[in-house]
Amino acid sequence: MSWKIKALTKSLWVFHAACSPCNNCDIEILDLITPRYDVERFGITLAGSVRHADALLVTGVPNFKTKERLKMLYSQAPKPCLVVAIGGCACGRVMFRDSYNSPCRVDEVIPVDVYIPGCPPKPEAMIAGIVKLINKVKGK
Amino acid sequence: MNILFNYLIFPGFLFSACIGLLAGWVDRKVTARIQWRKGPPWHQNFTDIIKLLGKETIVPQAAKMTFLLSPFLSVLAVVLVATILGKSIISPLDWFIGDLIVVLYLLIIPAVALIMGASASRNPFASVGASREMKLVLAYELPFILSIITVIIKSAGAIQIGSILERQMSFGSHLASLSGILAFIAAIFCMQAKLGFVPFDVAEADQEIMCGTLIEYSGLPLAMFKLTKALLLYTMPVLLISLFWGRDLSPLALIGKYVVLLVVIILIKNTNPRLRIDQALRFFWGPVTVIAALAVILALFGR
Amino acid sequence: MEDVVARIKEKFSSRILKSEEKSSRRIYLDINPADIPATAKFIFKDLGCRFVITTGTDTPAGIEMLYHFSQDSSGKLISLRALIVDKKHPQIESIAPIIKGAEWIEREIWELLGVNFIGHPNLTHLLLIDDWPEGKYPLRKEER
Repeated sequence: MSWKIKALTKSLWVFHAACSPCNNCDIEILDLITPRYDVERFGITLAGSVRHADALLVTGVPNFKTKERLKMLYSQAPKPCLVVAIGGCACGRVMFRDSYNSPCRVDEVIPVDVYIPGCPPKPEAMIAGIVKLINKVKGK
Repeated sequence: MNILFNYLIFPGFLFSACIGLLAGWVDRKVTARIQWRKGPPWHQNFTDIIKLLGKETIVPQAAKMTFLLSPFLSVLAVVLVATILGKSIISPLDWFIGDLIVVLYLLIIPAVALIMGASASRNPFASVGASREMKLVLAYELPFILSIITVIIKSAGAIQIGSILERQMSFGSHLASLSGILAFIAAIFCMQAKLGFVPFDVAEADQEIMCGTLIEYSGLPLAMFKLTKALLLYTMPVLLISLFWGRDLSPLALIGKYVVLLVVIILIKNTNPRLRIDQALRFFWGPVTVIAALAVILALFGR
Repeated sequence: MEDVVARIKEKFSSRILKSEEKSSRRIYLDINPADIPATAKFIFKDLGCRFVITTGTDTPAGIEMLYHFSQDSSGKLISLRALIVDKKHPQIESIAPIIKGAEWIEREIWELLGVNFIGHPNLTHLLLIDDWPEGKYPLRKEER
């Protein structure tokens, strides 16, 4: 396993890319950096700019406007960049499948590495998803 | 050859980078503990730098050459300051007269490099960050130079760090006098601003302008800027110790004094909110300049 | 605290078709679509009520527009109900020249329900993308 991947898994800077969600998943993401769950002990911190991002946390259903911006965000993040789809809406759109303003799923716009379903997913579920992501990246 | 060893290994790049990154970890761990969290492991800062070296570097299309040059410029400057300080502490009077002035000039280069790099990236958020950084530099340089002038006056006009140290070893630390204490307090505030820590981190790492000056940086240049911050975290307290508290600089005493200053920095960082740029300006040109000017006047009278 | 409902009824007695008091703080007044600008101007400017929002619904009888005003001192909510019967080309006069805060909600109702607001300063897309197909109004019932 190359040193780049090893360093990436121990120091993951996440960027929160919200495609107009209902914000429940966003509240649970911010829950992760509170003292009860504290993901900073794994090296995960919130990055302010997308150019500092190692992982994009995508929430919400992409609509016509945010679809373009999501693609642009993914191309602006320096590779290697992982994508995590958080919440039922980002995983497969659930009840917004037939909506007039939702043209596609997240993984039809950008390649997703890990899906964390839930509405919203509990912080424990998100940490389990992060562990699965790190194992998947290391196993490459 | 000896100079190269001093610059690159000890007390230059490798030594000060390791100490600086470890000090940065201490800051993160103590901050986490204060917030009832656990905090990152000891090697976190090193892993951050290594990870950044493995990412690709994206250069904006409209950026000029200074975009890539400025991070390396700031690292080179701060490493030079660390080398000068280290050599002055180990063998005073070995360097040249006037190296205090050189150190002062070199310490402005990181801020200037940040402004240059931010302006070269042609991003509107970066230009907001650059303008804030410019105003902050204007604010804190004045009281900082006044407190340095206090030290020079109290050392009978010596402008070599080595001779200031020698004078303190014979006559006692400059901190043992009233003007010394006042100048030290002013210098601590200026150090907090130069390091870019809360309450004066309005220029960069600002969640409202998406990291301000560093917004377009990625990969190796970003690693260089993070390294500059770590190097400054080692260099600035050691500079203040050698100028104000330099009576006893044996390794154990030096480490103890460095830890004390680190605790002061972390304490100020964790108990204060971030100041707006106009509040910071008013703070530095108001109370802090008054304290520093008072220190100069008292030093002129021999107190 | 003046009784705003009494003043509205006294000034526009001829134009109010029906008045319904759902509760002590909730009044619905039915008027013709053509009388909306004058009534809205009276309630907003002369009585000093706050414009809350406009709502539109697609009903079998027509497109029902509700204009909500709030008298913050008493907590009363006055809603003007206007029914636009023509569903092929629904239109109503815009209150955006009178109440600047109504500009955006009228843009939203135009793009989602298809109601043309006569005299609106800037009738362009707000939520949907700019090249949304003409004639497709997502919140109309026949869109299913």
